[in-house]
Amino acid sequence: MTSTSTLRIAWRNLGRNRKRSLLALGAIAVGQLAFLATTALMNGYGEQYLNSATGPMVGHIQIHAPGWRDDRSIDLTLGDIDATLTEIRRDPQVDYASPRVFAPALAALAEDGFMSMVVGVDPEVESHPRGLLAGEHLSGQIGGHRVLVGSGFARKHDIEPGMEIAVIGQDVDGSIANDLFTVSNVIATPVAIVNNLGIVMSMDDAQDLLLMPDQGHEIVIHVKDRELLSNTVTRVSSLPCLSGAEVLAWQEIVPYIVTIVNFLDVYKFIILFIVFIAAAAGIANTMLMSTFERTHEFGMLLSLGCGPGRLSKIIAVEAVILGLLGVAIGTALGLGLVALTSESGIDYAALGGSESAFEVDFQGLQITSHVFPKINASDVALGVIAVFLTSLIAVIWPMVHVVRLEPMEAIRS
Amino acid sequence: MKISLTTKFAVRTLGRSKRRTLLSVIGVGIGCAVALFLSAFMRGANEMRVQGIADSGFGHLRIAPGGWEKSRENALRLQDGRAELETVRAMEGVKVAAPHARSTALLAFGTRVAGVELLGVDPPAEQAISRVARAMSEGRYLNPGHKGMTVIGSTIAERLEVELDDDLFLTVVREGGEMEYAMLRIVGIVNTGSRDLDATICHVTLEDVQQFTGLNGAGEITITLDTARKVEQTASYLRTVIPEGDDVLTWKEVRPAQGADSKSDQAFMNLFVGIVVVVVMLGITSAQLTAILERRREFAVLMALGMKGIQVIRLVLVEAAALGILGATAGLLLAMPLVYYTATTGINFSAIIGEGTSMSGVLFDPVMYSDMGLWMIPRALFVALISTLIAALYPAWYAVKIDPTSALSLREA
Amino acid sequence: MNLTRRKQPVTQPAVGAIQRVIAALLLCALPGATFAQTSSETSAAANKPTPNVARLLKRFDEMYESSGTTAQVQITIVKPKKTRTLRMRMWGKGEDKALMVIDAPTRDAGTATLKVGNNLWNYLPKISRTIRVPPSMMMGSWMGSDLTNDDIVRESSYEEDYTSEFVGHSTDPTGWKVRLDARPDVVGLWDRVEIVFSYDDKLPVQSQFFDRKGRLSRTMRLEEVKEIGGRRIPTLLTIIPEREEGRRTELRYLHVEFDVKLDDSMFSLSQLERRR
Repeated sequence: MTSTSTLRIAWRNLGRNRKRSLLALGAIAVGQLAFLATTALMNGYGEQYLNSATGPMVGHIQIHAPGWRDDRSIDLTLGDIDATLTEIRRDPQVDYASPRVFAPALAALAEDGFMSMVVGVDPEVESHPRGLLAGEHLSGQIGGHRVLVGSGFARKHDIEPGMEIAVIGQDVDGSIANDLFTVSNVIATPVAIVNNLGIVMSMDDAQDLLLMPDQGHEIVIHVKDRELLSNTVTRVSSLPCLSGAEVLAWQEIVPYIVTIVNFLDVYKFIILFIVFIAAAAGIANTMLMSTFERTHEFGMLLSLGCGPGRLSKIIAVEAVILGLLGVAIGTALGLGLVALTSESGIDYAALGGSESAFEVDFQGLQITSHVFPKINASDVALGVIAVFLTSLIAVIWPMVHVVRLEPMEAIRS
Repeated sequence: MKISLTTKFAVRTLGRSKRRTLLSVIGVGIGCAVALFLSAFMRGANEMRVQGIADSGFGHLRIAPGGWEKSRENALRLQDGRAELETVRAMEGVKVAAPHARSTALLAFGTRVAGVELLGVDPPAEQAISRVARAMSEGRYLNPGHKGMTVIGSTIAERLEVELDDDLFLTVVREGGEMEYAMLRIVGIVNTGSRDLDATICHVTLEDVQQFTGLNGAGEITITLDTARKVEQTASYLRTVIPEGDDVLTWKEVRPAQGADSKSDQAFMNLFVGIVVVVVMLGITSAQLTAILERRREFAVLMALGMKGIQVIRLVLVEAAALGILGATAGLLLAMPLVYYTATTGINFSAIIGEGTSMSGVLFDPVMYSDMGLWMIPRALFVALISTLIAALYPAWYAVKIDPTSALSLREA
Repeated sequence: MNLTRRKQPVTQPAVGAIQRVIAALLLCALPGATFAQTSSETSAAANKPTPNVARLLKRFDEMYESSGTTAQVQITIVKPKKTRTLRMRMWGKGEDKALMVIDAPTRDAGTATLKVGNNLWNYLPKISRTIRVPPSMMMGSWMGSDLTNDDIVRESSYEEDYTSEFVGHSTDPTGWKVRLDARPDVVGLWDRVEIVFSYDDKLPVQSQFFDRKGRLSRTMRLEEVKEIGGRRIPTLLTIIPEREEGRRTELRYLHVEFDVKLDDSMFSLSQLERRR
């Protein structure tokens, strides 16, 4: 009897003074919303950073012939690459597997030669969102002795589409590899080396030029779920076609990025903590204020026979109801916001007050301010618990205070 | 007369309900403090990034030959390097001006070779301007006027299998194609903590580069200022005093990728500061609204006693303003210790980031400092006043519409 | 936050292979005409007289000296994983003109290289193009090769840079051992060179190069002395780098003619394209 009627009284108390309740509810909801929004944004930023730092060049997993990474000898190749790729693609966690060929070479338009880097890629595979030719609709423009050149490279040597370019290098036998290619287009990629030195051609063309049929220097794999990466690496390494090959996770290829990612995680918690403090302050302030403003009301209740213990219980239940509702609303709003923006992304530059949607074009490298907010169940849970607890803790002092009230004084205040 | 009456009344009201006032002030204070601390930290982090870039040898400004920005040709030289250097060094606000000249070169020892970009420096200026020149792990840095000496990065020393006091064989190809040869004695080895960075370091005196390349004068002058805030200003002034044919570039133009990163990070941080400020303001507002809503009776009494609606509004606003100012002060007091500590001692992230991470040739300090300054006062006032005033508006307007009799009825609790 | 990695200089052995050949051809101008000599009479084996170092070195120098040389050579580059053999014809005049054409293997046949002064061009028959090698890549091409960039023709000379002395008898290979020490101010890779001359032919059979720390860096063997082009000279040069497993470079003269009258016009781009 006591519990249901306490509940009812609490509920009616809240309903009776709607504005006050709504304000408290609002404070709690905003707190939760801010918490979730911050988490989502930081997650998005972290992902974007990782993606652009690893990106098309590094990927999540890299496969090479042992020793190739030391001095990039052209003759250290992965053999039977087509069959190997087919095998790798069967793995459920593999999103994309891209073969690559790398060879330094001399390039020339007319008589004067200059340094370049031949990059052989599979145009279709590289057109995927995280590939080298992502979003460029260029897959039809390489192959059949047509090549793309990096924008920095093109600018430096005045290369334009339609020109014929000679490429001279060394093939796997040590002979002089040389051939003529047509420049079909200039591309800007986020990969500096391709941009500044790169001549991008199809795998077939590269393999012909360098006398390495069905071979490649590198396979770059992008996985579906990065959380399961180490399992995927283990599985891929144990594939028979890759016995004797070197299979590495991205952390081993670019260890300094690991440091930065760790740092970003810490940073995220610091920011989150600060946002939490800000929200908690607001919630506590509101709850406290509202409780103290009701001293007169409490005085009335006490003098009408409601025991102090019971009164504090009512107050506590009110706080619980407000807390739960507020958190629920905040979560709903937060998830809604994330759902709305996770596909299209957010341009934080515009929100952050600098010029809207900036894109820096530095020799073709594009650095955008676009992030895709992301949120996990654990993030939501953290917010719920933190914010809910705050609203509860905020009423402890008033509860204590209420218990010690002198009814007559209270009525008169 | 009316105004002073309102003010007197406002002050007395605040004095009368001490708890409410105290709670309000503390609430506003904590909110402000949080906003202030976050802002301070963000500003500090931004400045440090700029400083990190400057300290890695890129400076705040660079005087470069016309056309260098686009072509990035090492062989270009300034119109009158010596005179320009003198001019710059005589300027106020200039901390260090360091001339440089660069050349591609080959270092060899026995059968080992390593390609490097030779950097010709003015040793005392270089040590003042670049952390690289101060990161000696063995030996010493260059002395002015010393010919045939070099300081190399530890990675290069490893590749060539050489140590201090070994003589390296240098080959430089001049513009006309002639080869220039020289011996360089290793007087110092640099270890910045970043292997990538160490693989590119090879410093010799400016005079040596002049001799090797046959090109006289400096290729550019890198300048650091006393404060990063004067960059644009100094740049504009410099443009008027240096000869035609030379450009003045800011660090963002010299390293556009870094400039873009910096802008992008700044925007991101602004967004978070914005979120926190909004949360703080909402929290304060809701608490204030809660307080004021409870005072409808009070306003009704006042109006029944003859106070006009507009006077009530003024009263409420003056109270809010007073609370705002007091709250801002409290916020400043609360935030100061923490901001001061982080501004002087800083937060040490080396546990996560390691001693030195470098990205794109920029060394980042693992210790982060926040920025302390007079800007904190207007910021605190802004957050506090806007919140309290907004909170006061609604009830003030509402209060005017009350029908005194119904407001006074007992049923309002 | 954006990252770019500094790239290692480009290895370009294709051009390097050809340049190595040029270097080898011109490497013969190594020990020059005059040597500042400090004669030293160290104890010699009883039945082998003390050699006249100056004369030995002069002979070495004059071994390949010629106003104009044509040759047919075979170069074998041995690496742990594979071995590659090239056969080519070369023409050289003075110190700054050289032309060579690859005859074998078939895949590379017809590829030609022309060096005039500091300029280097390659002609590639498959694409019918002549390309000029940029100076920056000329330096880089010596990486990974067994010949160092020090071996390229330059104005300075070993004779001015070293002092020589006879230091005794060598047993493997047998012969007189002469030591050349780099003078204190010299610009070069080698701290000293030790050359062994055979007793019979008085020809060099081995040169050992020591780097600036006094470590043996590489060994060059001169073997298979034959009567060729009217001279008696070693026809097989082998360069073996120290501390590199399974690597060496062999240069074999199949045919040589010295003091041939060669026209300057032969060393031109038009000739380059016509030489097949």
